Amino acid sequence: MSLPNFKKHLIEKGGLSEDDYALIQPFIQTKTIPKTEFLLKQGAICSHFFFVEQGLLRMYALNEEGKENILQFATEGWIVSDRGSVFFQEPSTYYIDAVEDTLVVMLDEHFINEVSQVNAGFREKNEQLLQNHIRHLYKRISQLLGVSAKTRYLDFVSMHPDILLRVPQWMVASYLGITPESLSRVRKALADANFKPNH
Amino acid sequence: MKTRHIEKIVQPGTPHFVGDGFRVHNFIPGTSTMQRMDPFIMLDYNSKYHFPPTHVPKGVGVHPHRGFETVTIAYKGRVEHTDSAGGGGVIGEGDVQWMTAASGVLHKEFHETEWSKTGGEFQMVQLWVNLPAKDKMSPPKYQAIANAEMAKVPLPDGAGEVEVIAGAYEGNKGPASTFSPVNMFNVRLKKGAKMPLTFPAHYTTAILPVEGSVKVNETTVVLQDHFALFANNDGDTFTLDALEDTVVLVLSGAPLNEPIAAHGPFVMNTQDELIQAFQDFNTGKFGYLED
Repeated sequence: MSLPNFKKHLIEKGGLSEDDYALIQPFIQTKTIPKTEFLLKQGAICSHFFFVEQGLLRMYALNEEGKENILQFATEGWIVSDRGSVFFQEPSTYYIDAVEDTLVVMLDEHFINEVSQVNAGFREKNEQLLQNHIRHLYKRISQLLGVSAKTRYLDFVSMHPDILLRVPQWMVASYLGITPESLSRVRKALADANFKPNH
Repeated sequence: MKTRHIEKIVQPGTPHFVGDGFRVHNFIPGTSTMQRMDPFIMLDYNSKYHFPPTHVPKGVGVHPHRGFETVTIAYKGRVEHTDSAGGGGVIGEGDVQWMTAASGVLHKEFHETEWSKTGGEFQMVQLWVNLPAKDKMSPPKYQAIANAEMAKVPLPDGAGEVEVIAGAYEGNKGPASTFSPVNMFNVRLKKGAKMPLTFPAHYTTAILPVEGSVKVNETTVVLQDHFALFANNDGDTFTLDALEDTVVLVLSGAPLNEPIAAHGPFVMNTQDELIQAFQDFNTGKFGYLED
């Protein structure tokens, strides 16, 4: 199976060569998840990290009223998982489901060990990805606590430029921690300031 | 005058829904690439389909376009259109809406509210016509073309008529204004009638019989709902023989011969222009439209 996004990820971010990639190919496991089906449900132990080759996943929690709060979207090239559940082998409090028909590469410790045997530098590169993820989470918490909805929205769409064409607005609002009505107001204010159809 | 031959005939593939209101067979780019069909870069065909009555009109919600024109030809049913540049209206059987998205608009299209309440047979073509690079960032505009405005050219001996949406048939011009040479006709032929059609040999040329079947160049039958593409630089003239009373959509346009960079609803010339299109859409430069 051709996995151009995963190959690019391992070469550009994991430091592998084309030859390394050929050697680790037998260890690659993939899974197809139809739209609306789950990769993880609350209460289950998460066994893998999911690299999105094609499609779109989201990770969410249910709040006390049973409403979905979206923590993360994962489009092509992104990794999503409940890392705490994987590492501590404890039941997850999150859900991961497919917003579009999705093809994922299933990553686990066994796979990372195999890749590390082929290329010793991979473990350090993988550590960098983890640190980058933690940095991203700090930024997200800080933004939720301290910056305007408009700034959060603009930062989000610069990170996921095509997301508004792929998911309903209420999901974007959920990710941003605002109501769909507030998101409409943010977008309308931007349009009022920036739409000049006759220029 | 030299005969222009059919390059291929495509049967309608498995239909899919666009939103919940358009059940379409895709012909472009699914069965012929944008480059081959230049300047026609997308063609979705909603063959006759019965929609049951509903109080919630079906259709497609707010979405953007940049870099081309969307043309909707209504054969059966009624569609309502609204866009962020202030364009909008209702088109019914025989009418055409021609939206120039150009620098960018948001729009939505739904079955008309009253039509939805009774439901009925629905049949439409939606076509995207590419814009020349120099016009891609021109202001958006909207042309609602009522059937009565179209030039209707009677054929000899009561054989039928040519309805001219865009371009010209024997000097009779259609009402649509276009940015590059495009001919778009509905040819209505009575059973047994025959007619020639002539276009420059290098124009991308295709037919889609939406009612009845025709024989082309006295040799090849093109069945209803099938898409026939003509070879380029082969000849300039082909003939249509109506095997029954027919309506044939005829498309013939001058290729723009410019690079195409396309992603979803944006069709530009370069990757950088596509990235810019996403940024502009995300930051409100396509305007605002309520869902």
